[in-house]
Amino acid sequence: MKPAIYFGAIGATALLVLITVFSTSEVAISAPTVEVAAIASASLTVQGAGSPAGYDEKSFNAAAVALSDSERVGREIWYKSTAGNARFHAYTLPQRVGVYADWYRVLNAKERNDRFRAWGLMNDPSCCTPGSPGCPAKSLDETYGFDWCPGDEELLKFVGKDGYRDPACDLKDAPYIAAVHGAKDERQSPCDLAFGTSTGALGLRKFPNPRFDAEIWRKANGALESWEGWRKRLPRQNATGKLAQVADDALEPPFLIGQACGACHISFDPLNPPADPTHPRWDNLKGAIGNQYLRMSEILGSGMPVNSLEWQVFAHARPGTTDTSAIPTDQVNNPGTMNAIINFKQRPTFSGERVVKWRGAKSCASGAPAATCWCEPGRTEKCWQREEQVENVHHILKGGEDSIGIREAVQRVYFNIGSCSEACWVNHLTDMRQLDPNARNFGQTPFNIGQCRRDCPNFRAIEDRLGNIVEFLVSKENYNTDLHVARDIERKKKSSGAKYDYKDLVADLEKEFGKGAVTRGQEVFAQTCARCHSSISESEGGPFKNRDFRALDPKTGLRADWMGNDQATKVSEVGTYRCRALHSNHMTGHVYQEYGSETLRARPSDPAVREEGGGGRGYYRNISLLSAWAHAPFMHNNAIGPELCGKPANKANDFDRPRYVDASGALLAKDKQPACWAYDPSVEGRFKLFKESVRQLLSPDQRLPKITLFDEDVTIDIGPKILDGDGDRELRGFSVVLPAGSKVASLGNFLHKRFIDDMVLSKLRPSELQARLVKQYGEKDGKEIAGLLSRTADTALKNPKELVSAVKREPRLLDIYSSCTATVENGGHTFGQDLPDADKKALTAFLSTL
Amino acid sequence: MTRHTTLLAIRGLALFGALTLSLVGCNNKASTDIKFAPYGTTYQSKPDFAEIEQQYPLTPEAVAKLTPEILVGLDQEQVDQIYARLTAGPIPDGAFDGGLFFPKGASGQRRLTEILGGLPGLAAELKTTKLELLGKTLWKGKVFYREKRLLRNRIEDTVLLKPLIDGDLNTIEKINVGGKEAWLLFPAKLYCGQSLLDARRESIIIDYAYSDELPGYRERPDFLAGRHGLMVRDEIRMVRPGFYLGRAYAGKAFLLSFTLYNKEIAERDGPAFMKTGQVKQDCWTGTQSAMANK
Repeated sequence: MKPAIYFGAIGATALLVLITVFSTSEVAISAPTVEVAAIASASLTVQGAGSPAGYDEKSFNAAAVALSDSERVGREIWYKSTAGNARFHAYTLPQRVGVYADWYRVLNAKERNDRFRAWGLMNDPSCCTPGSPGCPAKSLDETYGFDWCPGDEELLKFVGKDGYRDPACDLKDAPYIAAVHGAKDERQSPCDLAFGTSTGALGLRKFPNPRFDAEIWRKANGALESWEGWRKRLPRQNATGKLAQVADDALEPPFLIGQACGACHISFDPLNPPADPTHPRWDNLKGAIGNQYLRMSEILGSGMPVNSLEWQVFAHARPGTTDTSAIPTDQVNNPGTMNAIINFKQRPTFSGERVVKWRGAKSCASGAPAATCWCEPGRTEKCWQREEQVENVHHILKGGEDSIGIREAVQRVYFNIGSCSEACWVNHLTDMRQLDPNARNFGQTPFNIGQCRRDCPNFRAIEDRLGNIVEFLVSKENYNTDLHVARDIERKKKSSGAKYDYKDLVADLEKEFGKGAVTRGQEVFAQTCARCHSSISESEGGPFKNRDFRALDPKTGLRADWMGNDQATKVSEVGTYRCRALHSNHMTGHVYQEYGSETLRARPSDPAVREEGGGGRGYYRNISLLSAWAHAPFMHNNAIGPELCGKPANKANDFDRPRYVDASGALLAKDKQPACWAYDPSVEGRFKLFKESVRQLLSPDQRLPKITLFDEDVTIDIGPKILDGDGDRELRGFSVVLPAGSKVASLGNFLHKRFIDDMVLSKLRPSELQARLVKQYGEKDGKEIAGLLSRTADTALKNPKELVSAVKREPRLLDIYSSCTATVENGGHTFGQDLPDADKKALTAFLSTL
Repeated sequence: MTRHTTLLAIRGLALFGALTLSLVGCNNKASTDIKFAPYGTTYQSKPDFAEIEQQYPLTPEAVAKLTPEILVGLDQEQVDQIYARLTAGPIPDGAFDGGLFFPKGASGQRRLTEILGGLPGLAAELKTTKLELLGKTLWKGKVFYREKRLLRNRIEDTVLLKPLIDGDLNTIEKINVGGKEAWLLFPAKLYCGQSLLDARRESIIIDYAYSDELPGYRERPDFLAGRHGLMVRDEIRMVRPGFYLGRAYAGKAFLLSFTLYNKEIAERDGPAFMKTGQVKQDCWTGTQSAMANK
């Protein structure tokens, strides 16, 4: 056996899992309930203030008129601040991670009207297509093919030049507060918030690329407006026809694209949806509701060929979901929703949690090590001390991770979207190609918040304003959105004298679901659902059966009940797709270790889960049912309910894929696949989707199972290649083909490094391997697995191309070396399945009122 | 020259993606004044580069004493700790002599041997320096064309490669360095980009992926390094003027380290660097306030 071939064989799976990072914040916040009339009134007022033709910042600012200074600053940061992550998207993601975004494909002005349908992006109301009436830019050449947006009159002057002054420098900071900001106002310069200007899609921001060379660009593309040379597939492909010119890292585009939190969270206001989703106005938008349509995974992978592993494994997330641990990969394939941030002041917190983190301090003791106490150079009394304390904290992410404080949860979002990647955390990620367990990046290591604070000015700029962001998230913009209010506004649009209140809603629900449905539904809810979906326990608030779940909290004016207790439930009890619960990035020794509490990590593993547990894994928190009527489909992966799709005009950007399978896991025939539901953000469109999703939720026996499968053959090149044959131009290594129909999760969750290392060990030190496996799996199974590995290694050595099929022939190997073996994505949460049909209807009616 | 020999030669190139020349021997144990952060054998035990730089910044005096021979004697973690503390420096101009060396583990053996040395029939092959010698025979160094952001490799004018080169051999441009003539093959693009080891600041990237767009490209043998072949990508950072430390990757998998040295530049610009520790930076130097930004 030649060594090169051997390496090829054992390296075969090394390329199986190349990781994209799809960022989204997972902060789920909520804010107070106010008088219905006040919401309607405010909405209508802002609607009047917004001008659809105002290609400037006035309309954006007008929509914040009801906010406090702090909330306003928080909002502006949420919508605009990239905290420097444009470099991540321009350089780190493609060059280091190996994932290419085709930003022109996503953002070109010619397809502005198709952008929402294709990518789920919200068009920026203040931007315009060059050449359109009233647009300051008259030609696409002026904007390099992009929309024209406010601030571009300055930004475009600096394409290909140094010296751009970021608009964030002009941020009017919230007033200095000594108690918060320290002895002096020494907040990090707002310039480091890095706003740039809008790309035309909300939350995606552009920056002039000083390295751009117009002459080289024209030569490559033919014109300034064109990106065709940058994008084109070259006539001669690489061995598997997969490399695009987008992959030429030497060709610098005119813009670097950054991402603000809003990219994933800004979406249509359920109370006041746009008449045309491609042309929303500012008063049609809410900043933190969660974009239920966004295809962030496809956006970040938009420069990858559809037959590449990266595209097939990661660009499959349902609209409104993305795998936030795809870039800082833990090899657990687990797309999740961008959480709706609603009524967060009422969200439960948990006392007595052990939290190690940095806290503000006025000074450090003389000689204190920088690892535990550090003062910002040049600042007065601006120090940070790291220690363990017992705190009252939220449980933010799907499994309760991000549990060291709400500010820190917001802070971590910026890492998710790429900020400070180079300075702080990319060096701590796993390199999927690194197979040497002694080498750097074989696995994750925890990044250090203190080091990041010291070395990344963007981090400090955000940290100094986290209070503003949190205040925005709990502001009026993010209150619950009631169905009766939405209908009231709809009716008022048609007739200013119209009125629709809660009683009208109840009457309509009873017409649809039966007399007394809402009252009966509340009883069913109290009996069946409230133990998880009420934030006020019976010991605290009295029996559920007597509860007014819509009662207001006099302190906040919000609905007192957050409609979810946020407590961690073992995933085997919930029964939903468990891969997300096995997320491991917050474990000790992993990249986000510092954002998980010690209490989180001390949770016992779920004994009913077959995969490796511990370290906090194996749980889901339940969700809030506030405004549930506007947030279907359900579950963390949006899998329970109809499949959604955009039906874009450009079919190349139609990412809907069939997912319904039969009992054997094979895809149903095309004519048997239930049709996807086209995006419909209207009030009645949301409500219709909600009702069907609840129907499926409460009737699990009627759900057709869903599994995401490859929709193209994927050829994986195995490296390193060698020239080893008769043909003097024949490069051999080898490739393996994973056929269309392969389960995405099986590949995305496959722990190839552990598998390869054990195969090598089976040949080099078999007794050592066997002893370890016996200890782990018991005498009989341990020995069997060791033998299996040895035989598989023999197969790989003999014929490397047989490796994948050899693994497939031994399902046990897939089990042992998978971080998650779950396949059906819409199973579980069977609570309520045995209710009589009438009660299911009643429950649906009651849920509609929340 | 038999076809078999030729293929063997190319296999050597292909395997290691090293379009570089070995000027140095291997396994030399040499000492250095450079301090290293403590580390263990596992990946978890390797200290964070930012902290290494903070606690053990490189000084001009220390790097002045570094030589290719010393680097060859270090284990890979030590080489990595040095590389991470370097900046990209100026994109070079002119001809550089090169040397390559393979990752070594803490035992002083090649890391490959440490991992796979026990495989039947493999140990002997791993211990040989045949492939290194092959690289040394063929590969003499690199020539940078800074203004054009172009690089070409100096390949020994030997019969070894002739069967693999298209067209009239007399049309291949040559270069004479120090009285030795070499072919200029394997063109590559030059730009500032991401280091695949240390993200905190950019490196100078030598990228063969789209070399077929470059002047002087010859399908054979240049395709070997490009995107239709091994997808070679090198990155370099400056040790001191005229002396660069590089890392070679194929398909983003790390293969080996190499050195580049230009005596004329070293002697011309070295003294000024020793005085100030400052040098022109063409690439992004990151945001850590250590040596890079001072």
